[in-house]
Amino acid sequence: MFETVIGLEVHVQLNTKTKLFCSCPTSFAEHQNKNTCPTCLALPGALPVVNREAAVKAMRFGYAINANVNHVSTFDRKSYFYPDSPSAYQITQLTKAIVQKGELFIDLEDGSQKRIGMTQAHLEADAGKNMHEGNHSKVDLNRAGTPLMEIVSEPDMRSSDEAVAYLKKLHSTVRYLDISDANMQEGSFRCDVNVSIRPKGQEAFGTRVEIKNINSFKFVAAAIAYEVQRQTEAYEDGVYEQEVHQETRLWNVAEGVTKSMRGKEEAADYRYFPDPDLRPLVVTDEMIEEAKEIPELPDAKVARYVEELGIKKADALVITALKEMAYYFEEMLKYGAVAKTAVTWLTSELLGRLNKAGLSIETSPVDAKALGILVSKITDGTISGKGAKELLDHMMEHEDRDIDALIDELGLAQVSDDGAILAIIDEILANNQDKVEQYKSGKEKLFGFFVGQTMKASKGSANPAKVNELLKQRLNS
Amino acid sequence: MQIDHTVLTKLEKLSHLRIDESKKEEVMGQLTEILGYVDNLNELETDTLDASFSTLEGGTPLREDLPRAENDIAKNILAHAPESQDDFFIVPAIIE
Repeated sequence: MFETVIGLEVHVQLNTKTKLFCSCPTSFAEHQNKNTCPTCLALPGALPVVNREAAVKAMRFGYAINANVNHVSTFDRKSYFYPDSPSAYQITQLTKAIVQKGELFIDLEDGSQKRIGMTQAHLEADAGKNMHEGNHSKVDLNRAGTPLMEIVSEPDMRSSDEAVAYLKKLHSTVRYLDISDANMQEGSFRCDVNVSIRPKGQEAFGTRVEIKNINSFKFVAAAIAYEVQRQTEAYEDGVYEQEVHQETRLWNVAEGVTKSMRGKEEAADYRYFPDPDLRPLVVTDEMIEEAKEIPELPDAKVARYVEELGIKKADALVITALKEMAYYFEEMLKYGAVAKTAVTWLTSELLGRLNKAGLSIETSPVDAKALGILVSKITDGTISGKGAKELLDHMMEHEDRDIDALIDELGLAQVSDDGAILAIIDEILANNQDKVEQYKSGKEKLFGFFVGQTMKASKGSANPAKVNELLKQRLNS
Repeated sequence: MQIDHTVLTKLEKLSHLRIDESKKEEVMGQLTEILGYVDNLNELETDTLDASFSTLEGGTPLREDLPRAENDIAKNILAHAPESQDDFFIVPAIIE
């Protein structure tokens, strides 16, 4: 039996307005090379100046994961020669990162949590992009110099499920902290996976293989599964030494396999040395204060929802997985929605309709205020659950958001007025004298018949709780 | 440290430089001499000292996160690039 050992390196693009070392904008999908200047193009004499906001965002992440935030950190040059980096080196933090030794708690299937150690998070500059075309390559350096935070975990994960749970937790954490858009498709959240296997009980790690360029949680799981199988088979066939090397492999989506990056490793020598253009990054008291302003994070929200709002943990996990969803939910409560009812109307009624329409919580035509008021109207008896569904359907298609007026307009008001309901009840009872006799002589099942008839006669507008109450009064008198 | 043919070959590869066969002996001699000179530094007792990254006091200056105004610098640089096309820098094919 083998044990899988997984460590993850995640590159998160920080959502600053400008690059890490120059004032070029970081806007996505701009015209090629529009966001460049002498500094990010590495022209002689241009000097890097650190973006204060990038440092604060990295620090904020550090405090959020209970890490050491170093008040002094340093920048190093990592030399490599490739056209996506005009300076022929990347500025990174090797010797002393701004954030060291943190922890993140992942949620497992069985409802428990597991602690994953975090080695460090450091600041570094992103590279540009190359496009290969026939006998030449086109270079766009808009992304060159964009601030990245590389987050390195300890090799604490033991399955692909744990790796994916870690990535999801990390993803939602950086989104809540508002330090990155963390959009995997646009490349602002990229992960490299380190995988090795070892016989159960063995302490020493096996040979570690790094898999790069995986751009979805699904592919992370698939790449790990493939790699674990490849390494296990090599071990069982007695060719582990020959076939499993410490190397970088690429995930090939089309074939569903990992492939070795040919021969690049042997020559790689990054010749790290301290960047002479940059003095140490010394953080100020104001920066520490700003970085410590941390919004309520998913774990704290789940605990609060369960303890104070009395909703199920599973529901709380669903709602807090997405920052937008949690904020939507909390906004609904502000407009009078009762928590438990709000959960149902958000997670099943609204999300169901959004999914069907190909929309998301961010693009929902019905905002939290409207849905919050609607839910409050169910609780206070103004409208029935059925009427509320009709109203929600209407709002998905129309823009008017005056809930009270809409209830009138669509004739959805529930009749709770005793007099009006009693009038209907009396008529029903008068027309069904025989059944009233049967009921009174013990056939209590007929109660449902009377409720049904009353609801039908009111065209569904009568408040069912009221109907029950008044019917009982009449029949038992 | 003695620079031999193996080390020189690796250095050529890393630096993307090619040293002419006739000059190799001379270059190896020079590099060995340079390393020997730098080796003098090892006589210093540094075990009790922190590494110093700069001779200057204080931290690196910081910049507020404010985007610069649009300008033509990028266009100018592109115009002076050895080769450019549709505002892309053009380089020899980098993929086999």
